[in-house]
Amino acid sequence: MSARIDDGTRRWLLAAWALCLVPLLLQLAPVTALATATVGALTVAMSWRHTLPSVLKLTLIALAVGAVVANYPGIGRDTGCALLAALLAIKPAETATVRDARSLVGFALFAPFSTFLLDAGPASLALGFIAALVSLLVLLRLSDAEAGLDAVHWSPRQALLAIGRLALTGLPLALAAFWLFPRLPGPLWGLPDRTLSKPGLSERMTPGQWLDALNDDTVAMRIRFTGIVPARSEMYWRGAVLWDFDGATWLPAPGLVARRAADLALQPPRWRYIADVEPTDDRLLALLEFPASAPTNTQRSADGTLHTTAPMTALTRWQMDAAPMQSFAADLPLDERQRALALPRGFNPRTVALGQQWRREAGGNDRAIILRALNMVHAGFAYSLTVPPPGRNWIDDFVFEGKVGYCQQFSTAFVVEMRAAGIPARIVTGYAGGYHNPVGDYWVVRNSDAHAWAEAWLPGQGWTRVDPTAAVAPDRIYDTLADRAPGAAGALGRFAALRPVWEVSDNLRRGWNDFVLGFNADTQARMFSALGIQRVTPETLLALFAFAMAIALGWMLWLLARGERVRDPLLRAWHALDRRYARKGLGREPDEPAEAWAQRAGEARPTSRSALLALARRFSGARYAPGTGSAERASLARDLRRHRP
Amino acid sequence: MRRRSDETLPIRIDRRRVYVLPTRFGLAYMLLVGTMGLGALNYNNNPAFLLALLLGTAGLASLVFAHLQLSGLRMESLAADPVHAGDPLDLRIALVADDPRPRQGLRVVADGVVAVADVPAGRAGIARIAVPTTHRGWFDAGRVELATTRPLGLALAWSWLFPARGWLVYPRPERDGPPLPDAPAAGARTRPSVAGDDIHQIRPYRAGDPMRAIAWKASARSTHLLSREYEQPVDADVRLDWARVRMLEHEAAISRLTHWVELAERLGRRYALQLPGQSVLGPARGPEHLHACLDALARMPEAPR
Repeated sequence: MSARIDDGTRRWLLAAWALCLVPLLLQLAPVTALATATVGALTVAMSWRHTLPSVLKLTLIALAVGAVVANYPGIGRDTGCALLAALLAIKPAETATVRDARSLVGFALFAPFSTFLLDAGPASLALGFIAALVSLLVLLRLSDAEAGLDAVHWSPRQALLAIGRLALTGLPLALAAFWLFPRLPGPLWGLPDRTLSKPGLSERMTPGQWLDALNDDTVAMRIRFTGIVPARSEMYWRGAVLWDFDGATWLPAPGLVARRAADLALQPPRWRYIADVEPTDDRLLALLEFPASAPTNTQRSADGTLHTTAPMTALTRWQMDAAPMQSFAADLPLDERQRALALPRGFNPRTVALGQQWRREAGGNDRAIILRALNMVHAGFAYSLTVPPPGRNWIDDFVFEGKVGYCQQFSTAFVVEMRAAGIPARIVTGYAGGYHNPVGDYWVVRNSDAHAWAEAWLPGQGWTRVDPTAAVAPDRIYDTLADRAPGAAGALGRFAALRPVWEVSDNLRRGWNDFVLGFNADTQARMFSALGIQRVTPETLLALFAFAMAIALGWMLWLLARGERVRDPLLRAWHALDRRYARKGLGREPDEPAEAWAQRAGEARPTSRSALLALARRFSGARYAPGTGSAERASLARDLRRHRP
Repeated sequence: MRRRSDETLPIRIDRRRVYVLPTRFGLAYMLLVGTMGLGALNYNNNPAFLLALLLGTAGLASLVFAHLQLSGLRMESLAADPVHAGDPLDLRIALVADDPRPRQGLRVVADGVVAVADVPAGRAGIARIAVPTTHRGWFDAGRVELATTRPLGLALAWSWLFPARGWLVYPRPERDGPPLPDAPAAGARTRPSVAGDDIHQIRPYRAGDPMRAIAWKASARSTHLLSREYEQPVDADVRLDWARVRMLEHEAAISRLTHWVELAERLGRRYALQLPGQSVLGPARGPEHLHACLDALARMPEAPR
C-alpha cells in the first residue's frame, strides 16, 4: 500500500501536469485543445474530494476522444499527439497515493516530448523544459512525502536548488551524449505525417486563397551567403512549377517528375550559400534560382521542381551553389510545349482575344509581346491584397475593370495572355526577396515572402523568368519597404523600435538552429572538420562517446568520494596518519585517546616515537584547547601529512 | 547479504557499504526515458533527444545523491531503557554526519519497525523506534537498516548496520497477581528509631537528632543533652522463593515472582529473591536491587523439557 499524499503535494502535482499539457495543447487544433483543457479541468474539479464514478470517467474519456476524432481527419502524428493529450487530461482522476502521483508524472512527461515532435519553436522548447523541471520537482516532493517528511515546511526554493544540482550534475553526461552519441543517418521507422497541414508553400494555386501565407510573418528559411550576395531582384526562391489551369486552380504536371531534368546552362557569378529551412512537413523545397546541382536526398523534376525524399519534419540544412540561368530547356519537347500553351475553353474571352491581338500586331517577335504586357501592367495596374472574389471570368474583370491585385492575379493574367499569344508559359511559386538581418549578417525569408511569378519560353534561351508583379510593386516583392520589415507590425501597432529586438532574437534563434536543431548524422560526422578530420566514422564516435561517458561518470564518482570527505583539513590529516599506522597494525582504537595511542604506537616503533608523541600532543591541543590560530592548525596539518611511521 | 560480524559503535557508513538499486518506479522511469531517447534518435528530433537526456542524466545523478544521503553518516549510539516483555522497547538511534550536508527523511528500520530521522548539518539526529518485544531475555539489536528513496524516488539506497548492542527484556509481571507471601506476624521484629510511640531508651545526644527527640527534663538533670529513642515496629523482609511458585508453569512462575518483586518494591518492603541454582539476592530494596532481581528473572533458563 503506497503512502497517501497531502493536498499541498497534490496541488504541486496538478501544476506539473498542467504545465506539461499546455505546450502540447498549443500545438493542437484550437477546438480539440479547448475541449481537452475543459475535460482536464472537469476531471480535476470532480475528483478533488471524491473518487470519480466510472460512468462519469467514461463520459469524460468519450468527450475528449470525440473532440480529437471530430477534428482530425485520419491517423497521423498530430492525431496521436492529440489522443495523448486527451488521455492525459483524464489521468488526474486518480491522485490519492504516491504511486498514482508518480504514474501521472511519468505519463505527463510524454506531453513535452510529443510537443517537440510537432514543433521545435522557442516557445514550445521553453514551456516543455520548464514543464520537465517542474515534474522533477514534484518527483522530489513525492519522495519527501514517501519518506514522511513534514510537508508544511517544504520550501520550493530548496527543492528547486536540489533539482538544479541534479540537472547540473547530469549535464556533462547529457551534453557528451548529445554531441557524441552516434546519430542514425536515416530513421528506423518513419515519422507519421500530420493530418492537418501547416500553412506554407503549396503545390497548387487557386488565386484568392493565399492570403493566410502572405500575412504569416514566421520564418521559412535563413540564408547565409559565403561569397557574392545576389541583388534583391535576383532573389527568387524557386518552389513548385504549375502547368495546368482549369480557370480557377493551377496544378503541377505530375508526369514530369520521372522525366530527365531539362538541360540547364548557367552563367557567372556563383552564389554560394547555406540555407536552414524550417520544417514544413512537406517535401517541396524552395531554393535560390538556379541550383547548380540537385542536392543529395532530393529529386529534381524536368521543370526544376525540387522534392526531398522524406518530408521535412525537422530543420534541414542545405549547402548550395546557385547561379543565374543562361538557358533552360532550349529544346522544348512537343508535349510540354502543348501543355504550356493549353487554355481552358470558354473562360476569359476578352483576355484571350487581347493575347491573340498582340500576336497579330507583333508578328514573330515574342519579346515584344512580353514587353507590351509588362508595360500595360506598369502603366495602369495597382498592387493590393484586397481583391473582389473571383468569378467565372475573373481574369477579364481583373485586366479590364479592377486592375488591382497581387502576385497571383498578375502572374495568372500574364500566363493566360502569353498562352493566348502562342508563347509557352507557366507559373512558378516560391519566395521572392528576403530580409537582411544586420545582427549576424544573414538573410531571412518569411512565409509572407511567398510569391508567384511566370516563366515564358523563348527560342534559344528557353524558360525565362518574367515577374509581372515586379512591374507594379517591386518594393513590395523584394522586401525593401520599411513597413515590411519583420517585427514592425506587432500586436501593439507599428513600432520601428521593435525591429532591433526582432533582429537580435531571430539571430539567437539561428544560433540555436545552428547548434542544436540542425544537428544530425551528417553534421555530427563533420563535427571535427575544424581540427582537420573531415569525416568521423561511427566507430570513432562511439569510442569518443565511451571516453566522454567515462569522464562524466568519473565526475559523478568524484562527487561521491568528495561527499563523504571530512571538511576539516586538520582532522583529515590526522585520519590519514591513523591509516598509515593502521597498515602497520598499529591503528587507533575508536575509543582510544590520541596521546594514549601515540604512546602505544611509539613503543612498537621506537624510531618515530618522540615525533609521534609530539604530534599527538599538538593535535589534542589544537582540537580541544580554545584559541588555536589558523596558521598553527595549517602547519600542524602539514606536519601530520609529512609524518611516516 | 552475508551478515557482518557485530560492529562496535560508532559505526561509520562509508561508500563501500551503501547499496543502490532502482525502485519499481525507477525501472518504469528508465523505460520511459529510453523510449523517448529512441524515438528522438529515430526522428532526429534534437529537442526531444535533449529532453530525454536531461531526464535520464538527472535520474542518474539522483542515484549519486541518494548514495550521498547515506555515505558519511555515523551511528553514534544506540540506547534503550529496559522494558517488560510485551511493552515496546523505545530504541533511540543517534546518527551524526562528518560532513556539512544535511540529511532528511532517512528511513531507519529495526526489527521491521520504521522510523524517520533527520540529521541536520553538524548536529545529531535521533531516530526513535518502538520495537515490540514478546519474550523475556536477551534482545539483540540485530540488523538496523538505513534507507532512503530521496531525492527522486527512482532508487533505493540502503545500508545495513549490525551494532553489537543488546538489552535484557524483563519478564512480563503477572497481572492482578496475589499479594506478597508474607511470613507469619509472630516473626515481627522491631528496631530503635528517633520517631515512634513507645520509648525504648534515653541515650546521649548525637548531632542530627531532631529537636523534639531531646529529653529536656532528663537533660536538665544531667550534665549533657540526652535524646529519647523510640521503638519502631518494622515489617519483616519478604522472602521470594522459587520453591513457593514451582507448582506453577515455568513462565507463569517467573511472571509471579516478577509481580512480587515489583509489588514489594512499590510497597517499600525489603525483599530477597531465591532462584534455583543461584545465591540469594538481598534482602534489600531500591532500584538497583530491583533491576538485579529482574535481571536474574529475565536470565532464567527456558522451561526444562
